[in-house]
Amino acid sequence: MNRGLIIGLFLCLSFIQITTPLSMIIRRESVLKAGAQFKFKTTPVDPYDAFRGRYVALCLEENYVPAVKEIKLSRGRTVYALIAVDSQGFAGFTTAAVAKPSDKPYIQTKVLYVSGDKVYLDLPIDRYYMEETSAPAAERIYQEHAQRGKQDAYVMVRIKDGFAVIENLYVGAQRIEDALRQGRER
Amino acid sequence: MNKMGIKWLYQELPELITKGILTKEIADKMRQYYGEVKSISKTTVMLIILGTIGALLIGLGIILLLAHNWEQFSRFTRAVLSLVPLVIGQALALWVLWKRPQSGAFKEGSATFLSLMVGASIALISQTYNIPGDTGTFILTWMLLIIPLVYLMQASIPAVIYLIGITAWSGTHGDNPVTSVLFWPLAAITIPHFIWALRQEMYALRAALFSLAMIICVSYAASFSLGKTWPGSWVIIFPSLYSVFYFLGRLEVNKITTNWQRPLRLIGAMGLFILAFLFTFRYIWQYLDEYSYITSENIAGISALPDYIVTIAIIAGALLLFYDKVKLKNITISLPGAVPLLAIIAYFFRGQSTILPVMIFNLYLFILSLSRMTAGIRGNNLAVVNTGMLMLAILIIARFFDSDISFIIKGLVFIIVGIGFLVTNAILARRMRGAK
Repeated sequence: MNRGLIIGLFLCLSFIQITTPLSMIIRRESVLKAGAQFKFKTTPVDPYDAFRGRYVALCLEENYVPAVKEIKLSRGRTVYALIAVDSQGFAGFTTAAVAKPSDKPYIQTKVLYVSGDKVYLDLPIDRYYMEETSAPAAERIYQEHAQRGKQDAYVMVRIKDGFAVIENLYVGAQRIEDALRQGRER
Repeated sequence: MNKMGIKWLYQELPELITKGILTKEIADKMRQYYGEVKSISKTTVMLIILGTIGALLIGLGIILLLAHNWEQFSRFTRAVLSLVPLVIGQALALWVLWKRPQSGAFKEGSATFLSLMVGASIALISQTYNIPGDTGTFILTWMLLIIPLVYLMQASIPAVIYLIGITAWSGTHGDNPVTSVLFWPLAAITIPHFIWALRQEMYALRAALFSLAMIICVSYAASFSLGKTWPGSWVIIFPSLYSVFYFLGRLEVNKITTNWQRPLRLIGAMGLFILAFLFTFRYIWQYLDEYSYITSENIAGISALPDYIVTIAIIAGALLLFYDKVKLKNITISLPGAVPLLAIIAYFFRGQSTILPVMIFNLYLFILSLSRMTAGIRGNNLAVVNTGMLMLAILIIARFFDSDISFIIKGLVFIIVGIGFLVTNAILARRMRGAK
């Protein structure tokens, strides 16, 4: 192969290599800008992901929908989890639809497993990344606030066309970064 | 004959000619027979190694720096910063292709660096936007983005990274054989590069490293993706796989070779011995059907087809290579490759009795070690004789402690082994007398 052809092909490859991460950024930025905001309550679950730094592991309090007898859902099946907001302003899932809903807010996800009358969902909300040194302290604050009896930890999510992007993690009506800073100043 | 030996011989040739021991024509013929000893200078090799290690370390360092997830920067700034290492890697590789297209060290190093930076960028963006941990998709995206580098930059480390990557990806789908079986076509993409590497510098560092990665990755991937359709099929699949390795490593493309420069041959033969040795234990056959790994969702019908195709291709490859060597009537070389065939026979007869497979493999290992010993004696190669003796000793010791087998059969096996030893010794003694 001559040098010109190789360089031409390399430039094509470089373009694809850069477009992949760039499209990841653009898709998420557009959801964060134009998506509808929802608050989801969380419960306690710090694994360490050496490659991606440290994060707070999240688990939504309501990560299931009631099973419907007529529709048989198996593991890995793509479903559309319909979202409803309660009187306190927190979001939850009402049902898992097989067809894409046109008028209601939803998250496109997969069935994790079915247990009795509950269908557990493989939700794309499972980690909140923080600065390396902050993550363990944040994890502690989060665990405290997510415990039973208190339960004022929630995650703010932006959703557009079934695609969810985490915006912030809140503990006691405060962003976790602010709560952490306050804890340090005290 | 190894490289050093030929080098030594070439140094000696002028003196042998002047002293009249060899004529110039014979010396020239010898040179023609052994061929030119191509040796890359040590500095070049060091440059490639150090350059690649340097690129690896810098790449990993950048990943760790960005993984700190600097809070001071806004989300968007961090996302854009994540792209910087990728752009630097691409600029570096482009510069090498433009200015140093002939330098193996520069190409290998910059391609390795760029390969790592592609993964780093995606991982860092996942971190910035709290993207859920789907390891499989992340690895596959990364690998597909770097595989063209192997061909555009003729670089082997990215090919090794790619092999490891697709193996890990196949592992994340270990519970879903329909997906993990895609490892095989993905791995096949590296074959032209492998052949190119072998042609370039047969059995040199690059080819040895790549072969090693290939063996390890393929072995893991086989356990992730194959043998999920029929229970216990691993007893045929793995010997076939190692037999293919062994025969590929046996290909006489170049006379210059040592064991360590031929990992395929060495590990292939060792794997075959270990497997055959395992098959001499009765419990392997006894529990083959009960303990076999069956996935939660049994695959059958059309979705099992890729599994069958890959499995049959590997087995057929092993049997054909074996047949090819048997045709040449070279027993010492072809004998290790008999394991797959025997495993097939044993597999189908295990239902009647578990003794039969055990007998087959005991007898086989006995003949195998004997053939190595005789080959060693014939070639006056003590190392080969010793490996044969070692294999036999392992077999005897195992049977001695193997209380599973009845005393009668144990006794019979011991008698056969004893006779074997006596016969070998007799042959050895006769030959030695003959030599005198």
